Amino acid sequence: MSAILTLAVKDLRLLLRDRVGFFFTFFFPLLYSVFFGILFSGTSKGPSAIPVAIVNEDRTPASDEFVSSLRKTSSLALDLVDSRDAAVDLVRRGVRSAYVVIPPGFGDASQRLFWGAPMRLEIGTDPGQAMTAGMIEGLVTARAFERMQRLFTDAQAMRDNARRSLEAVRSSTGLSGLQRTLLETLLTSVEALPDMFAAQKSAADTQPDGTTQPAFGGWRPVEITTSQVTRPAAAGRPRYPSSSFAICFPQGIIWGVMACAATFAASLLVERTRGTLPRLTVAPFARWHILAGKAAACFFTTAGLIVALLFVARLGFGVRPASLPLLLVAILCVTVAIVGLMMVLSVLGKTEQAVSGISWALIVVLAMLGGGMLPLAFMPPWMQTLSDVSLVKWAILALEGAIWRGFSPAEMTLPCGVLLSVGVVGFAVGAGVFRWSEQR
Amino acid sequence: MLRLVGLRKTFGTVVAVDGLSLEIRRGEVFGLLGPNGAGKTTTISLAIGQLRPDAGTVTLDGAGSPADPHVRRCIGVAPQALALYDELSGEENLRFFGRLYGLGGSTLRQRVARLLDFVGLTERRRDRVATYSGGMKRRLNFAVALVHEPVLILLDEPTAGVDPQSRNAIFEFVQTLKSEGRTVVYTTHYMEEAQRLCDRVAIMDHGRLLALDAVTGLLGRADRPTVVVVERAAGEERIETADPKAELVRALDQPDVLGVRVERPDLESVFLTLTGRRLRD
Repeated sequence: MSAILTLAVKDLRLLLRDRVGFFFTFFFPLLYSVFFGILFSGTSKGPSAIPVAIVNEDRTPASDEFVSSLRKTSSLALDLVDSRDAAVDLVRRGVRSAYVVIPPGFGDASQRLFWGAPMRLEIGTDPGQAMTAGMIEGLVTARAFERMQRLFTDAQAMRDNARRSLEAVRSSTGLSGLQRTLLETLLTSVEALPDMFAAQKSAADTQPDGTTQPAFGGWRPVEITTSQVTRPAAAGRPRYPSSSFAICFPQGIIWGVMACAATFAASLLVERTRGTLPRLTVAPFARWHILAGKAAACFFTTAGLIVALLFVARLGFGVRPASLPLLLVAILCVTVAIVGLMMVLSVLGKTEQAVSGISWALIVVLAMLGGGMLPLAFMPPWMQTLSDVSLVKWAILALEGAIWRGFSPAEMTLPCGVLLSVGVVGFAVGAGVFRWSEQR
Repeated sequence: MLRLVGLRKTFGTVVAVDGLSLEIRRGEVFGLLGPNGAGKTTTISLAIGQLRPDAGTVTLDGAGSPADPHVRRCIGVAPQALALYDELSGEENLRFFGRLYGLGGSTLRQRVARLLDFVGLTERRRDRVATYSGGMKRRLNFAVALVHEPVLILLDEPTAGVDPQSRNAIFEFVQTLKSEGRTVVYTTHYMEEAQRLCDRVAIMDHGRLLALDAVTGLLGRADRPTVVVVERAAGEERIETADPKAELVRALDQPDVLGVRVERPDLESVFLTLTGRRLRD
């Protein structure tokens, strides 16, 4: 045990002496986490808003109200501009992702029921941001429907609109006799509808559970509710990522620990090529001690790196783990897996350059497959299935499970089991090949 | 002290050591002489348990096979390739290897200080090895082999690539070890080193033992006689003789003689006699 510790301490000392290696092992993952955390969150104040230019050509109370409702949408950063040309120019130059024009007639159209031209909106988007365009269209449509919904849920507004529409139909000259008769019948009924519901108000307002219904009998044309799928919050635990840092730090950690694996894998080759390994093999201990020392150094460095990064995440960015015991288990399992990976990487080449090259090639592939570069959700189904072979996926899942997914111990079993298996199998394979190659 | 019996080691189709048997006596400086590729380093690797022989046995008196880690505690090795950590200082290297052999505390401190003094690196002890010259590294490599005070020390080409000053220093270290009664195995392809330092020399080629004897005994196997070279104004006269002393006296009596020198057979000529090739071919 003393020899293993001596070997491990030596490797840690060598790591500390290698300033470039130390930077890329400890500080690069931190920079990665902070950079992408800020990029995706805007200093953790929630998701970044999409910049949109809006032109109000209608300038009616209805259009003003619509602009106000869009302003309240946190996903949009609205910039009111004077002209359509200015808005188009902003999008063309990439300053804004899209523009929305409220053309003249929007206010009039919003007052009509069942006839006449509909409310019109024009949306222009940057062709390079197809996904953003879809989001903007959905958000603007939702605000427009909210306005339509109010016509049907506010009894007085509905009565007023029905009356105005009835007057407009009666004075219109462009309608056939049949159309006029049908619309007059319909609008008269709509105008009377709120009174009919008012008669039943006392009975309908109070629900069996004691809650009250909104006006107009509780009927709505459409109601959309959104929610985030998370585990019910336990006392003191987050229900969802407290910020994008809660997502970016596990990813940064994974890059850091993979770098650890590559560094220590190469260091075993360095020992061999510089001649220190033969000297170690004639020291008075079994050969597996050398590997155990290397594994211990990799283990301590990896665990230290994860703890250090999580410490920074906690103190600097408010990332709190959902479960500290499960986080410790996750750290242990990720560390064991990284040690196994290091052992395999160390026997994949015969020179330091070969091992470094192979290590990084493999790490990039594992990261790509496992969601270390691109979220798994963006990948095609077959790639998501293939990602099961990447320890990056399981490492991220284990860390996220303990940090913000709120995994139970049973749910941690799968990712942790996979990681431990990778560690044990990797160590066995690496040790076997090492022993075989040393005896040749 | 160390007994090698019927050792054989192959790497693929290459036979590195072929049926080697020899015994190294306690307290002697034993030379393994041969050209590059003769199998000297493989023999050392087999002797210290670093490689497993295809056939044969290695035994250290009173301890057993060096394949056993505990037996290796009695052995110190200075490999041909410098086995040092460049990023650590000379002192840290010695401390690290000392700890691997179970040393610690004041024992380790004192031994490290003594060894640094022994190899002349006390002033540079805190500098990183990367800043050392080749000779300094070679001396430190030598010191590392001694840190646990082994009874058997194997030096594999210890003067390879060093300056004359460091080479002389290493010769002095070896002679000091001999005077302390340690057993030293010294591999080299420089016949003058073997001739100068070793009590007995084994000559190897192609993995086989060609000859093993004391240096004087080996010199007697050379088929080249002693030559007395007489220098005159007209040129040199080379006189092969079995009695160089008499030939010298005779030459010095002659009035036109400018100088006289004796060329005795050396291990180079012994190797030439045994193999038909020169050592450095």
